[in-house]
Amino acid sequence: MKTVNMKVNGQPVTAAVEPRMQLADFLREQLRLTGTHVGCEHGVCGACTVEIDGMPARSCITYAAMCEGAEVRTIEGLVDDPIMSHLREAFAAEHALQCGYCTPGMLVTARDIVLRLPDADDARVREELSGNLCRCTGYVGIVRAIRRVLDERKS
Amino acid sequence: MSMNTTSGRGIGARLRRREDERFLRGQGEYVGDIRLDGMLEVAFVRSAVAHARLRGIEKPAGFEDRVFTAADLAGVRPIRAVSGLKGFKVSEQPVLARDKVRYVGELIAMCVAPTRAEAEDIAAQVFVDYEELPAVSDMLEGRKPGAPLLHEAWGDNVFLETFVDGNIAEIARRAPVKITRRLRTARQCMSPIEGRGVVAQWDRRLDQLVVISAAQMPHITRSGLAECLGLDHGKVRVISPDVGGGFGYKGILLPEEVCLGWLAMHLQKPVRWLEDRREQLTANANCREHHYDLTVYADNDGRLLAIDCEATVDAGAYSSYPFSACLEAAQVASILPGPYKFDAYRCRTWSVATNKPPILPYRGVARTGVCFALEVAIDAVARAVGREPWEVRLESLPTREMMPFDNITKKHFDSGDYPECLRRAVAAIDVGAIRERQRRGEPDGRRIGVGFAIFCEQAAHGTSVYYGWGIPMVPGHEQCQARLTPDGVLELRIGAHSHGQGLETTMAQVAHSVLGIEPENVRLIHGDTALSPYSTGTWGSRCAVMSGGAVAAACKEMAKRVAKIGAHLLQTDVSLVRVADGQVIGPSGSVTLKEIAYTWYRAPQNLPSDVDPGGLELTAGYKPVRDTGTFSYACHAAVVAVDVEIGTVEILKYVVVEDGGVLLNPMIVDGQIYGGTAQGIGTALYEEMPFDANGQPLASTLADYLLPGPTEVPDIVIEHMETPSPYSEFGQKGIGEGGAIGPPAAIANAVNDALKDLGVEITEVPITPARLLSAIAAAKVRSAA
Repeated sequence: MKTVNMKVNGQPVTAAVEPRMQLADFLREQLRLTGTHVGCEHGVCGACTVEIDGMPARSCITYAAMCEGAEVRTIEGLVDDPIMSHLREAFAAEHALQCGYCTPGMLVTARDIVLRLPDADDARVREELSGNLCRCTGYVGIVRAIRRVLDERKS
Repeated sequence: MSMNTTSGRGIGARLRRREDERFLRGQGEYVGDIRLDGMLEVAFVRSAVAHARLRGIEKPAGFEDRVFTAADLAGVRPIRAVSGLKGFKVSEQPVLARDKVRYVGELIAMCVAPTRAEAEDIAAQVFVDYEELPAVSDMLEGRKPGAPLLHEAWGDNVFLETFVDGNIAEIARRAPVKITRRLRTARQCMSPIEGRGVVAQWDRRLDQLVVISAAQMPHITRSGLAECLGLDHGKVRVISPDVGGGFGYKGILLPEEVCLGWLAMHLQKPVRWLEDRREQLTANANCREHHYDLTVYADNDGRLLAIDCEATVDAGAYSSYPFSACLEAAQVASILPGPYKFDAYRCRTWSVATNKPPILPYRGVARTGVCFALEVAIDAVARAVGREPWEVRLESLPTREMMPFDNITKKHFDSGDYPECLRRAVAAIDVGAIRERQRRGEPDGRRIGVGFAIFCEQAAHGTSVYYGWGIPMVPGHEQCQARLTPDGVLELRIGAHSHGQGLETTMAQVAHSVLGIEPENVRLIHGDTALSPYSTGTWGSRCAVMSGGAVAAACKEMAKRVAKIGAHLLQTDVSLVRVADGQVIGPSGSVTLKEIAYTWYRAPQNLPSDVDPGGLELTAGYKPVRDTGTFSYACHAAVVAVDVEIGTVEILKYVVVEDGGVLLNPMIVDGQIYGGTAQGIGTALYEEMPFDANGQPLASTLADYLLPGPTEVPDIVIEHMETPSPYSEFGQKGIGEGGAIGPPAAIANAVNDALKDLGVEITEVPITPARLLSAIAAAKVRSAA
């Protein structure tokens, strides 16, 4: 066991973790933050995407023990974020989700796109989203939702 | 009764989904989110080889009481999914392997520990002594005499052979055009982003096993669990929470469910197993693998005259519950004619047992394969007669005037205008502009092509369609329990379940259309056998028709009961009131459902003396006017650019013209079409689980089993035709699977159109760069010779 200190959704957390425990499992099983979903556990599908120190990251291939001093934000910690509120509204309006399983990871990536690339065109949005798989929507609604937020923030 | 269709919130409205709020906040509850007090985790030991006799299983020292094998599971019965079709051979699937293993990933032992990681540590130490046997990894090899036998008592590897023997000889002899092709679709993994998962617990108070599982058909799972565990139905409750995508993958009784059910009873502790992606890919690539030897006969205009086919389906090692190992091939025989009319048909099918995971019906079921086979052959006919592929198709489509139309296999197309559907797709994709562009050539040297696929989708199949197959599940009717709560909220209980379809929204829209009640005041309760009427569940694009019909029936019955009470409160005759806008409206006043509910529950002194004592809680059922199913249909059209140097295919434009009848919620329908089409693009271009000659699966991660991502799926264009079905409650048709049917055919035809000058014709999907380049190379050799 190794003791690790990090901030999760603004709250300081100190916990003993096994060295092999991934951040996703730590968040889900120990902190009971189940909004972060586990899809492939090898860093391809993006369902587990959370924010670590301001950047989107795969929590399924990030050891919890390596997050010493990190600031982690999950979907639960982004509920009051104004861009996330805007994205939620747009995702509902554009039917950008069906089963909801990829949605938290998709939203964390989408928020990063909105923050970092305000001028992105649809092709760029798709390219930036390519680390997140969705099996339900065919991505059409997701791209439209992000487009809508980008456009609305400009006007 | 007036219908509340003008409010913009009932049937036909693009109403936002009730489900979204919780999902968008990460507040959905999936099986993996459930953690019960004292719960233990399970990891399975799975077979490392495709075919072997088990000589022994050694439990690691010190962990004997944490490892369970078939020998421990006293009284547990194997999974038996029989078919009543003549000649079907029964496979018994032990939930943990007993004497033999028959595919890589088959369950051998169950290991339990406080955490999954510890359970996996134990599993890694279990020693399995295999006596390896030659494997059947190719269905055609498996059919041959002398092939290794999976189930020795059968004498061969054929679950079932079927034969439709229409007399084609005369037509075949005089047909001027004969096209013969050998076509294949690859084995796939359906790949919902959420894998399977099971939590099981024994409820001491209720003396009942509770199994929480990501399941599409909780009531069928319950029946199967009761049969395998030897329990009364009353002692089994199945709960399906939020489900992260299904597509058929979760429409099965799992051996894992039986194992965990037994374990929870044995240990008297809650247990959990969550499938990981490696388990899913290596042990559960279980769909779509078809082989066709197809001959199409046509006249000089390309009009279809006859079809002759031998189709083989790779059914895997066992017959899955409830759909069985033969549903797929039986469906091939009955739906290969597609949307077309022609004069003679012969089809022989084999469902072949191989050392691979047991086949399950995946979105579109056999339709994706037959549509690919037939539509690729029809394009070959068009090239043979020198006409546009769409012109050739128009020769053989039944017209609007022929509807309803019974095709050659007695499929009853309920309504629609198939030629118009095709013509609209031709216009939307703009074939003329593509031909012009092809003449000009592309500046980057790629080749452009256009392809079409037209098909129909039978949905909401009833008893007459299914009973003949004699499988463990025969659908027929659907029920809804409706209850007005004392404060006027309408609770609806249905036995089907959502795994992304948005039933919480669409069923509320149906209730709104009947009662005028605000959708916010409707709660759908589903996914729990203790709280819902029995149902075969969510499969076969049946919920809009069947659950929608049941909800409407229950709401109509509720309307009668509230009208009676409302009329009394309004001091008028029941014949003078109507139910609308969530109220009972009389000649000189109205009373709300809330006031009526309050009166029933809390102030019965104000009820009429002859009130129906059944009250405001009722069950009503639904059966369509005719149970042969609704027939939605669609035409897919694709434009692709093919790079003949590196073998890549880019989709430049994709159009779907779909007739789903009356759309309950067009936004949700579009979502089904987009998502289905994306999956079909995966079938067409990317997804394949190869097996080597020893039956080893060769993809084990999503880096080598490729799912289409945001850059692979284009911005799909959808056009709707809305011809009401004459047989469903509102004219709605099932459309959930159609999107996944058309793309392999449309895209392959577009690729073949792009490469026709090179003499290249693709007859196998997915169209990977390797497959495409070798087809191009082979064509060069042919033209040189």
